[in-house]
Amino acid sequence: MSATLESPADLDDEEREALETLLKRLGDDEYVLAERYTEWQVKAPTLESDLALANNAQDELGHARLWYDVLEDLGYEEHELVYEREADEWRHSTLVERPFAEGDWADAVLRHYLYDVAEDIRLDALEGSSYAKIADRVGKIRSEEEYHLEHASNWVERLANGDEGAERLQDAVDRLFPHALTLFEPCAPATGAGDASGDEDVEETIVSAGFRDATLEEMREGWLSTVVPFLDDLGLETPASELVHFDEYEFDVTEDVLPDAVGRDGSHTDAWDDLREEFTHTYRELERSEATKIMDKPE
Amino acid sequence: MSSNTPGPDPDPDPDPDSNATPCAYTDYREGEGAEDLPATGEDAAGLEADVWDAVYGIEDPEMPVSIVDLGLIYGVSVEDGTATVDMTLTYSGCPARDMLLERVEETVADVDGVEEVDLRLVWSPEWTVEMVTEQGKADLKEFGLSI
Repeated sequence: MSATLESPADLDDEEREALETLLKRLGDDEYVLAERYTEWQVKAPTLESDLALANNAQDELGHARLWYDVLEDLGYEEHELVYEREADEWRHSTLVERPFAEGDWADAVLRHYLYDVAEDIRLDALEGSSYAKIADRVGKIRSEEEYHLEHASNWVERLANGDEGAERLQDAVDRLFPHALTLFEPCAPATGAGDASGDEDVEETIVSAGFRDATLEEMREGWLSTVVPFLDDLGLETPASELVHFDEYEFDVTEDVLPDAVGRDGSHTDAWDDLREEFTHTYRELERSEATKIMDKPE
Repeated sequence: MSSNTPGPDPDPDPDPDSNATPCAYTDYREGEGAEDLPATGEDAAGLEADVWDAVYGIEDPEMPVSIVDLGLIYGVSVEDGTATVDMTLTYSGCPARDMLLERVEETVADVDGVEEVDLRLVWSPEWTVEMVTEQGKADLKEFGLSI
C-alpha cells in the first residue's frame, strides 16, 4: 500500500485513536529501552561494548523522538509525553523496563537481542504504512537498527560459548522471555486503559487502516521462528522450545506464560515507577514546563 | 636471527593504504543517491537564491563544512514571502537538532523579503554520504575526514 494518509485531518476518530496508540507503543519502547541502556555507561565489560551500548541508547532516543514527532501532529508535546505523563499512560512492553541485576551483562545482551529481532519485524511491517509520516521514517530507522541486531546476535553467541556465560544467558531467557512476549500484546487505547475488548478493536483498526500491515500474531510468529531456533542452536531453552515442531510455531500465548503486568495495557512492574521517578526527577525539581532549553537566550 | 642482523630494507616509499584491511564487523556499502540530491540551489534565482546563499553560510556544529555541502538541505521555495525549507539531519539521534533547526529558521527569516519561514524536517530520502557535494568532500578532507 502506498502512503495515502498525509495528516490527522485524513482520519476519522477511530483511526486517530489507533494511530496515537500505535505511535505510543513504538516511541515508548524505544525511549524506555534507551533509559535502561544508559545504565551501562562506563560499566559495560569492555570499552567497545560500552561505546556500542551508549551509541545504541542514543539511536533509540533518536527513534523515540521520530515517533513522538508524529504524535505532535496529533496535539501532543514531547516534554509532556516524556516528563509529564502518568506511569499508567505509558504503553511500552515490560521487557524494556525491567532492571538489571548488578553486572548482569548477559541480561543486557539477551534483552537487546530479543528486542531488536522484534523491532526488525515491526519495521518491516511499517515500511508500507498508509500513513506517510510513518512510512517516511522507517528507512532511516532501519539503517541505524541493522547494527543493533548484529551487535546483539554477536554477543549472545559469544556468551553462549562459555559455561558461565551460557548459564547466565539461560537465567536471562527464563526471566525475560515472558516479558518479551508482551511486545506482541495489544495496547490499551491511548486515552484509556483496562478495557480488553477495546484493546483488540484498536489493534484491528491499526491493521485495517493500513498503519501497519501485519497483525500482532503474525509478527509474534515471525519473532518466534527467528528467536527460538537461534537460541536452541546455542543450547538455550525457551518456553517455546518443546512446542515448536519442525517449522510450525503453534505456541499458544496464554495468560500463564505472560507476566502479571504486560505494559501495553498500562499495567507495569514496580521497576517502572522507580525508573520513571528517576528520569523525571530533575524536571520536576526544577519545576520545568519545557525540556530542551538549558537557559533563556541572552538578550 | 640475532637482533644485530639487519632486517629487510624498510619500504622506501611506504604507502599507508597498502596494508589497510576493512573492519570485519562493518559492512561497507555505497549509499543510494537520490535523484535531484544533493540540492545546492544552483539554478535558484531571486529570493530563493538569497535564501540558499544565507543557508550556505551555516556550518555543521562539529565540522567546518556548510550544511548545504553536507547535503542537509533538500529544497527551498519562496512564495508570497513564505520560505519553505526542507531539510534533514545525518542522524536520527542528532544532539544538535534543535540548535541547527533554530539557526536555519533564524537565518532564513533574516533574508530581506522573507516574512515567514516554514522549516520542514524530513527523513525521506534518508541522508547518506552520497548526499555530500564535491565541495563538501573537499572541506571534510581538509578537516581530516575522507568520505
